[in-house]
Amino acid sequence: MANIAAQRIKREFKEVIRSEEVAKCAIKVELVDNNYTELKGEIAGPPDTPYEGGNFVLEIKVPETYPFNPPKVRFITKIWHPNISSVTGAICLDILKDQWAAAMTLRTVLLSLQALLAAAEPDDPQDAVVARQYKENLEMFKLTARHWTNAYAGGPSVNPECDDKIKRLVDMGIEEHQARVALSSYNWDLERATEQLFS
Amino acid sequence: MAESEVRCFKKFCLEYYNYNRCSNKKDCQYRHRPQHEIEAVGFVKGEDFILGQLIEMKNQKPCYFFQLGKCKYQDKCRFLHDNDNDNNHLNLSVREMGLRTTENNPSTSSRRETDHFKDVPNSDSDNASTNIMQNDIYSMQNCVEAACSLSCLTDEKLDDNGENSKINKNTVLYDDCEEGACASPPLVIVNNRNWADAPEFIPRFKPKSYAEVLNPDNIMDRKADRKLCPYASREGICLSLSTCNNLHGELCDMCERFVLHPYNEVERKRHRQECLKAHEKNMELSFAIQRSKDKTCGVCFEVIMEKTNNEQRFGILPNCNHCFCLCCIRKWRQARQFENKIIRACPECRVTSDFVCPSMYWVDTKEEKEKLINDYKKALANKACKYFKKGLGKCPFGNKCFYMHADSEGRSVDVGPPPRQRRHRYGDAEMDVLQVLLWDFLDDRDFPWQSMADDLEDLVSFFTESDESDWSDYDIFFD
Repeated sequence: MANIAAQRIKREFKEVIRSEEVAKCAIKVELVDNNYTELKGEIAGPPDTPYEGGNFVLEIKVPETYPFNPPKVRFITKIWHPNISSVTGAICLDILKDQWAAAMTLRTVLLSLQALLAAAEPDDPQDAVVARQYKENLEMFKLTARHWTNAYAGGPSVNPECDDKIKRLVDMGIEEHQARVALSSYNWDLERATEQLFS
Repeated sequence: MAESEVRCFKKFCLEYYNYNRCSNKKDCQYRHRPQHEIEAVGFVKGEDFILGQLIEMKNQKPCYFFQLGKCKYQDKCRFLHDNDNDNNHLNLSVREMGLRTTENNPSTSSRRETDHFKDVPNSDSDNASTNIMQNDIYSMQNCVEAACSLSCLTDEKLDDNGENSKINKNTVLYDDCEEGACASPPLVIVNNRNWADAPEFIPRFKPKSYAEVLNPDNIMDRKADRKLCPYASREGICLSLSTCNNLHGELCDMCERFVLHPYNEVERKRHRQECLKAHEKNMELSFAIQRSKDKTCGVCFEVIMEKTNNEQRFGILPNCNHCFCLCCIRKWRQARQFENKIIRACPECRVTSDFVCPSMYWVDTKEEKEKLINDYKKALANKACKYFKKGLGKCPFGNKCFYMHADSEGRSVDVGPPPRQRRHRYGDAEMDVLQVLLWDFLDDRDFPWQSMADDLEDLVSFFTESDESDWSDYDIFFD
């Protein structure tokens, strides 16, 4: 690994650890391997959003050309968000692509992702299904996102109705995550979800 | 003991100075003096004081003129102004000796010597106010000589009481001293070992030249033209001050060297100005280092002044005040995976800058920055453009190029504005421009021509950054 990338990550690592966001448990970075190429990030769901109370784990891969190229970041925790793939966790965020700047850091990236959770950009979606739901039925989107936060990110339980529907599908022999995706995609319409799953 | 303010450079042992002992003991080539007697000077930037170069607060040699009752340098005299009783009778004897010498040898005493005595009242009052006397290095020399003979005298008196008579046979006496010596002990000036220093061999006063005898009024003018002692100017002090025939400068309090010409006012002023300039330059440099030394690069996050030698340079962006090291900001601006708009922008604030100005130090104020950038452009304007090739080639930047466009005979050529660039999105239309440029540069294999720049400014920044080998050795220093 290029020396500059490792050196910089080391410095950033300390910066993140020292930063006040860590004190507020808003962001966190951990080393995965010892040569600073792979890290594990964690962000807290921002307050007053469906993600509140959740804790989202991120995979951060630092390229050799860092900081002249952005780090490769994706969500490991499953999340229901128009700009994040509900399947792969891939993120659609300009600063992680063509709007990267060499002065940006792991800390700014994590804070940007936190901001992305608070302010989705449905017109530039990563996950088309989520984005459509967000635009057509915002309440349904919030419900789903909150449910996903509860299911995967340790957020508070809010709607037992959703859990019931998933349980019914699971009872029919469907895998839980598959059932959740189907229900979420069809606005928690059990019939249509079942139809889609068994067709 | 009146401590003389005037400083005299001597080499002192630094170890002894710091710890009051020296591991070299007697073999040490430097002088061992207690700390309270010496004062450290000569701070070299970044380091401590120069080893062994310290100031002696008081000179051991008594001042000849003070002993005569009057010294025009008063507190500033380089020699000891000593009121001790021990020396009083010596003072007297020397005074008498001096007077007698003057009386008996009026022809050999220089004009200035006479002036000196004219100002001395006959009373012994040490506090008598002095009129301003003219500087005369000869009187200084006499002073030293007198001091030498005095110390000689004291030694003899103290050590060789019993042997006085014996020595007296070998001593050289001033002719008149024995007759008028009722108030003073016999004046003995002895140096058996070093007979070459015997007073007979040392002229009491510098013999006058033919011209000086002919035209004594003109001496000052001639003296103004004389050069200073080369040893003094090289070593800082002339070690054989008493015997050196050269003119010796006075102490300049800024550079603390004996370089002020005693007679030539123009020369003195010139030196003062030089000193001031050097001082200002040093101050500027230390300020520059001060404000630069903590600056970190916004890309690599390292303290720029602590990077390895060839990376210790700042890349100054003209349109914003964010701090980067030159190598990082250049590398960022060469990152071809992003749009030009992105890489030409500051990585921190995204304000676009057309070029990066290399600098050894960080610049804070707008004026400093303008000066730096102007200096930089000026320096580039003196280098031949490697695309223009003295008229043989074609420079894509036209008259906006920072480099010199001059033909083989050195005349500058205005090649007109650069060809208008068109943007990619106009499809085929831009192809002709692209081709023209590509033809021009196709042989330039080292040129990383991967993407067309968006407009002229892109080319300028691309240009200034692509031929690093050409100008990266150039750095802007404060001058």
